[in-house]
Amino acid sequence: MNKNYFILFGLLIVLSGGLLFLPEKTNYVQQSPESLMWDIVQPTRYISTDQVAKLIIEKDPLFQLVDVRPDYDFEAFSLPNSFNIPIDSILTDEANDIFNIEDVNTIFLSDDDIKADQAWVIAKRMGYKSVYVMKGGLNCWIRTIIQPQKPSESAPITEFELYNFRKGASIYFTGAELSTNSDIKQEVNITRKKKETVAEGGC
Amino acid sequence: MHVHEINPKKTLITLTIFVIVIIVGLLTITNPRLEYKLTPNETVELVVWDDSYVFPYELEDVIVGAVDTVILIDIRNTFDFSRGHIPGAENISAVELLSEDNIKRLKKLQKEGICVLIYGETQLQANGPWMVFRQLGFSNVKSLMGGYQYYALWKDNLADSYGDDGYLLGAADFDYSDIASNVNIDENEGDSEKTSITVNRRKKSTVAEGGC
Repeated sequence: MNKNYFILFGLLIVLSGGLLFLPEKTNYVQQSPESLMWDIVQPTRYISTDQVAKLIIEKDPLFQLVDVRPDYDFEAFSLPNSFNIPIDSILTDEANDIFNIEDVNTIFLSDDDIKADQAWVIAKRMGYKSVYVMKGGLNCWIRTIIQPQKPSESAPITEFELYNFRKGASIYFTGAELSTNSDIKQEVNITRKKKETVAEGGC
Repeated sequence: MHVHEINPKKTLITLTIFVIVIIVGLLTITNPRLEYKLTPNETVELVVWDDSYVFPYELEDVIVGAVDTVILIDIRNTFDFSRGHIPGAENISAVELLSEDNIKRLKKLQKEGICVLIYGETQLQANGPWMVFRQLGFSNVKSLMGGYQYYALWKDNLADSYGDDGYLLGAADFDYSDIASNVNIDENEGDSEKTSITVNRRKKSTVAEGGC
């Protein structure tokens, strides 16, 4: 046999050593920093608390809520049908199973929107497509949905429509009773005119 | 007759070409221009144990020039920037900050140990870009707590914001479960106290009121 074959063989072995220096391949496709940044600068990932309330009330099957707060906070209070994935376990297999459900949009939420947004950035980098953030988080949820503020008298009609929706949502989520105070009796004091004294004498 | 015996050099030539192709292939594996330096797990650790925020009251020294190791970068749009910004800040959008020239500059700044402080209208706006730069390995990139809105509120007495904690994010403002179980929506909010309407009718002038 030609000794060149041995040289060739030896060379291939040596060169294959170069494979060791290739970057580690991962089993998921990460989003490049550039396209991640493009996604970040667009505000399309934010879902308002009103939209989330509507989704829950309508029992929309195409979305799921993921609460990234620690588990003890989640046990104390959580939104209906939300999953708890604390931000430090966002890369676990269980979390992966939840994010990977086809055609289901995932909405992250936390106390406000910072932690949820950070979870979103990580999820986005890992290549999950339909992930969103609940704008304002639970603080905003309490302010807008649970304790809606009555708009001022001069506010546009849409404000009142929104207020009415929030009031209804608040009752839906808390089972609060609406006290309308409709039975207030308003006292009307009428001072009746005194009967004229006809012959009121002078001096 | 074996083919190599016709031209023994043919094998050598093939071999050389073969080797050259492989070496060229190995050398030209294109590395993407930007690479994550932090693994996903390290990123999670970063956001759980984050310490790369700058407090608003720390800005005071930067603005008056007492500290020259901090560069301020405003990532808001040019319109917002023109309407007001932190003195000394440069206006570079987050996407622009990833351009080749800016990455080179950031690398240089990192070597010199200069901190790059980015801020947006709110802290949330700067949060994503800050995370991208940290993941790219720029440990000198920091984010301003409270963003520009908080700064604008306190700009005349920035040092006094030390005692304020309005810029702190990520904490619960309410005891949710307590509030959610005690909701009572008051329809007559605002005019809930009973109002009594007093109608005072004008007295009829008595016709025969005698004068003097």
